[in-house]
Amino acid sequence: MVPDYNENEGERETVSLKTANRSLAVVSPLLPDSTSGLRAWFYLVWLSWRRQARSQQMVWIAVGLLLFSVSLVAIFTARGAWSMRYWRWPYRQGPTYMQWADEVQMLASLPDASAEGQGVQAALAASVRGIILYSGFPIFSHWIVFLLFLSFLVPLFNLSFATEALGGERESNSLIWLLSRPLPRPAIYLAKFAALLPWTIGLTLGGFVLLCLVGGQSGLLALRLYWPSVLAATLAFSSLFYFMGATFRRPAVAAIVYAFFLEVIFGNMPGYLKRISIGFYARCMMFDAAGDFGVQPERPEIFLPVDGATALAVLLGLTVLLLGIGTVAFSRAQYHEVV
Amino acid sequence: MPDLLDSPDSGRGDRPLTAISVSRDPKGSAPPALPFGSRLTEEAAALPLLLCQRVSKWYGPVIGVNQVTLELRSGITGLVGSNGAGKSTLMRLITGQLRPDLGSIEIRGHDAWSTSARRHVGYCPELDSFYEEMSGRQFVEAMARLYGYPRREALDRAAFALERVGMAGRAERRVRGYSKGMRQRIKLAQALLHDPELMVLDEPLSGIDPVGRDEFVRLFGDLASMGKCLLISSHELEELEKLTDHLAIMAHGRIAAVGTVAQIRDRLDNHPLLIRIDVKRSSPGENDSENDERRRLAAGLLKLNDVVGVELLDARPEDAVDPVLVRARNPQRFFQELTRLVLEEWYEIARLETLDDSTSAVLGYLLSGRSA
Amino acid sequence: MGESLNRAATPELLHYRPWRGEFRTPAASIWPIARVALTSIFQKWMFWIIYILGLLIFLLFFFGQYLLSWAETQAGETDVQLGGWGRMNPRHLIALFRGFLKLDGSAESYRSFFAYQGYIVMIVLALAGSILIGNDLRFGSLPYYLSKPLSRWHYLLGKGLAVAVFINLMTTLPAIVLFAQWGVLESWEYLFERFDLLLGILGYGLVLTVTLTVLLLATATWLRRTVPLIMMWTTLFFFCRLLSAAMVDGLRFSPRWRLIDLWNSTSLIGAACLGLDLETIRPGNQPPWYEAALVLGGVSLLCLTYLIRRIRGVEIVR
Repeated sequence: MVPDYNENEGERETVSLKTANRSLAVVSPLLPDSTSGLRAWFYLVWLSWRRQARSQQMVWIAVGLLLFSVSLVAIFTARGAWSMRYWRWPYRQGPTYMQWADEVQMLASLPDASAEGQGVQAALAASVRGIILYSGFPIFSHWIVFLLFLSFLVPLFNLSFATEALGGERESNSLIWLLSRPLPRPAIYLAKFAALLPWTIGLTLGGFVLLCLVGGQSGLLALRLYWPSVLAATLAFSSLFYFMGATFRRPAVAAIVYAFFLEVIFGNMPGYLKRISIGFYARCMMFDAAGDFGVQPERPEIFLPVDGATALAVLLGLTVLLLGIGTVAFSRAQYHEVV
Repeated sequence: MPDLLDSPDSGRGDRPLTAISVSRDPKGSAPPALPFGSRLTEEAAALPLLLCQRVSKWYGPVIGVNQVTLELRSGITGLVGSNGAGKSTLMRLITGQLRPDLGSIEIRGHDAWSTSARRHVGYCPELDSFYEEMSGRQFVEAMARLYGYPRREALDRAAFALERVGMAGRAERRVRGYSKGMRQRIKLAQALLHDPELMVLDEPLSGIDPVGRDEFVRLFGDLASMGKCLLISSHELEELEKLTDHLAIMAHGRIAAVGTVAQIRDRLDNHPLLIRIDVKRSSPGENDSENDERRRLAAGLLKLNDVVGVELLDARPEDAVDPVLVRARNPQRFFQELTRLVLEEWYEIARLETLDDSTSAVLGYLLSGRSA
Repeated sequence: MGESLNRAATPELLHYRPWRGEFRTPAASIWPIARVALTSIFQKWMFWIIYILGLLIFLLFFFGQYLLSWAETQAGETDVQLGGWGRMNPRHLIALFRGFLKLDGSAESYRSFFAYQGYIVMIVLALAGSILIGNDLRFGSLPYYLSKPLSRWHYLLGKGLAVAVFINLMTTLPAIVLFAQWGVLESWEYLFERFDLLLGILGYGLVLTVTLTVLLLATATWLRRTVPLIMMWTTLFFFCRLLSAAMVDGLRFSPRWRLIDLWNSTSLIGAACLGLDLETIRPGNQPPWYEAALVLGGVSLLCLTYLIRRIRGVEIVR
C-alpha cells in the first residue's frame, strides 16, 4: 500500500494520522517529549519476564520435572517412606527395624534380668524406637532436599532460566533491539535479572514449598528450616548463570559444566577447596538450621562447615558481586554475533 | 589507494549533505548529556549530526573498517559496497553496537557508544530477527515503550509508524509469518518511532518488491525533506542512485570514493588505473622478439588511446606466464578496447588483475551500475 | 586457455561443463557428514575445555598406574611403619593401594574408569547434540544435506557416527590406552593373557555408543534448542541417577529402581562384558545385567521409532 502521507510539497511537515486521534509528525517533533527512563526500565522488566515464557519447551520441562518430583514425594509420603520403621535388616530380607526394636524391648522383660538392667534396656529400646519413629526428617532432608532438590533441581532451574535470559536473546539475535534503545546497558542487565528472579524463585522456592507440603510432617519442618537457604542459593546460582549468559557464547553448556561437574568435584573435595562451591554454603545454612534435629554433615572434620550466618553472607555477597561484575562486563561487551 | 576522495582542504560548501572532513578542529568538551526525552539545545544542534574521525575496527586479525572519516549533517547519503566491504560494521559503530578500536564517532557531540547518542539515532539493522511470537504491532509498540513512552503514546506512535511503512493493515499477524518485505517494513517502522534526527538503515530495500521499493524511496525522500539525515547502505548502486546523488563507496573497510556517481566516474576516468596482465608464455622455440606474445601485446596496448604506459615485468622461469603492467585512463573504455584487442589477436591471457583494490571496487560498482 | 585452444575455432571459453564422473553410493556420504560435524565441534574451544576436564579422570588413572608401578620398583624389602598401626611390607602396601584404588589392570579398573567418565560424557553429548543436530534443524541447514542424493537415514547415520566418535574418544579409546599401558608397565603377557579384557572394553564401548547415540539423536531431534536439550539430557542422566540412589539406597525400595539410571544400566552391561560379578559393583544392590539390557534395548527401540516417525515428517521448507 502507499504510505499515507501528503504529497503536497508545501504540507509535508504536517502529516495526519487517520488511525490515531491526534496528529503526529514523523514522528512528531512538535509533540512534547514524554519519555521516561524509569518507565522504559520497568517496561523492559515486564517484557523480559513475559518473554521468558516464550521458551515453552523450557518452561514445560521445568514444570513437568517439578510436578514429577512432587508426585513422587507425595507417593513416598503416602507409603510412609520417611521413616526407618519399614527398613529391614539384613537388607530387604530380615525383620523390620521396628520389629528389631520390639525384640530389644522384649529382652528387657526377661525374668532373670535385674531391675537396673531392665531399666537401662527399656530406656535403650525407647531411644531406638524414638530414633526410628522420628527418622523421617533426616531422611527427607538427606535424600530429597540435599540430593534431589539442592543438587539437581535448584541448579537446573536456575541454569535454564538464567542462561536463557541473555543467552537466549543472543542465540536468537534479538538482543540488538534492546541494545539499540536509549537505555543504559547496566539498566538493561539489571532489568533482565529482575525479570528473571520471579521465574527462578518461583520454580525453586515455589517448588520447594510444594515438595515440602506433600512431604508430611518432615516436609513441613524442612520448609520451616530450609527456605532461607533455598532462596539464598537461588539468588547466587541465578546471578552466576546469568553472568555466564552475558559472557559465554554457549552459556548453558558452561553452566552445566559448573553445576554438574565442578560443583560435584569441588563439593566433594576434602579441605577448603569446596568453599568455592555455591552448594556448599547452601548446605552449611541447612546444617546450621537443622542441627538440633539431627541433620549434620556425615563427617564434619572433612566437610569443615561454616556457620549459617557466614554462609548466608557469602551467598548474598556472591550474588551482589556477580551482579556487579556482570553489569560491568555487559556494559563493555560488544556482541559480535548480534552484528 | 587513488586519490578518489576530496582532499581535506578542498572545501565542500556546495555539498551540504555529506562531507569528508579531517580538518575539523577537535572539539572541546562534549555537550551536556540530554535528560531522557528532552529536546536539543541550540548548542547541541550546531554540532554535526554524525562525525566519524579516523575510525578503525578489527575483528581479530581482519580489519572491518579502516580509517574512516565521515561527517553528516542532513539529507540522504548512500553507502555502497560489496558484501564484506565494511558497510554494516560502520553502521554498527555509528549506532553504538560496536566500539571503534581507533578513532572516535560522535552523534551530536556524544560518543556513539553512549545512551545519549542513541536517542538521536533510529537504526534499522540488517539482521532478520525479531520477537517472533509477537504481532507486528505488538513488536513496534514494545519498541516504542522501550523508549519510555507512556502506553497511550506508544500505541499512537506505533500506529503511525506502521501506517508510514504501509503495514497498518497487516500488523496484527505474527512476525513469524511475515515475508521478507514485511519484516523490512517492521524494522523501518521501529526506527521511525522516536522521531530520530539520524536514521541508519542497513540494506533497508533488500527483499522488498519493486512496488514497495518505490514506496520506500518516496518515504525516504519525504523524511529527508523534513530535515532528517539518512544513511542508507546497499550493495546495489542503481538502487541508491534513485534515492540520492550523494554516495560513499566502501571497499575493504575504507571509504574509497565520495561524491555523485558522475563525479566519481569523472575522477576514475582521470585517474590512471594499474592493471597487471599475465600472458601465456610462448613455447621455447618461438621465444624470439618477433614471436614473443608479451611484446606483441605490449605493442598493441600502446596503440590504445587510453594507455599511459606499459611495463614488462620480470617473469619467474618456473611460471608459464609473462606479466605486463599497464597504466590506463578511462577504465571503461580501456577494458572495452582491451577485450577487442585480445579477441582479434588471440592473446592467451592467463590472468587480468587490477592492482588497486579500492579503485577496482569502485570501478566494479560503476560498471555494474551502468550495465544494469 | 589450455593447450587445446584452437585459434581457428569459435571461442568456447565459458562453457559450463557438467559433472562427468560417477556418483558413489549414498553410503559414501556418511563419513563426510560425520567429518563436517566433527570439525564444527573441534572448532569450539568450549569442547576442548570439557574434553580436557574429561581427560583429567583418564590422567588420574594413567599416572596412578604409572606411579604405583614406579613406587614398586623403588620399594625396599624392609617393612615400613604405618603410623601407629604397625609395620607392613611396602610391596604389600602398594598391592593394597592398587586394589583399593582399582589401579591394578583388572576388569574392575576399566569398569571404574567408564563409570567415572559418566558425568563428563553427558556434558559433551549435550553440547554435541545441540550443535550437531539441533542447529541443523533450527537454522535450516538440513535442506543443504537433503538436497544431495542421499536419504535422511544417511544424514542421521553421519551425525550418529560423529556422536559415536565423541563417545569413544572419551571412553573406549582412553580405556584401551590404559590397557596397553598396563601391559607395558607390568608384562607383555598381560596383553595376550587378558585379551578378554580388551574385548570387554570394546563391548562396553559398543553398548555406550549404540545406546547414547540413538538417545542423543532422538532428544536433539525432538528438542532442538540448547537449553531444553540440556534440561532433558541432565534429567535423564543426573536426575534419574540421584532419584534411583534416593529410592534404593535412601528409601530402601527394590534394586530394580536402579534401572531408571541409564548410565548405571550401561555400566551393568559393561560389567558383564568385562566378566565382573554383580557383587563387585558399587554401589551395591544392583539388578541383574539382563534386566538393564532389556531397559536399554527398550529405550533404544523407542528412540528409533521416534526417529523414524520424526524424520519422515521433517519439513524442508521452514
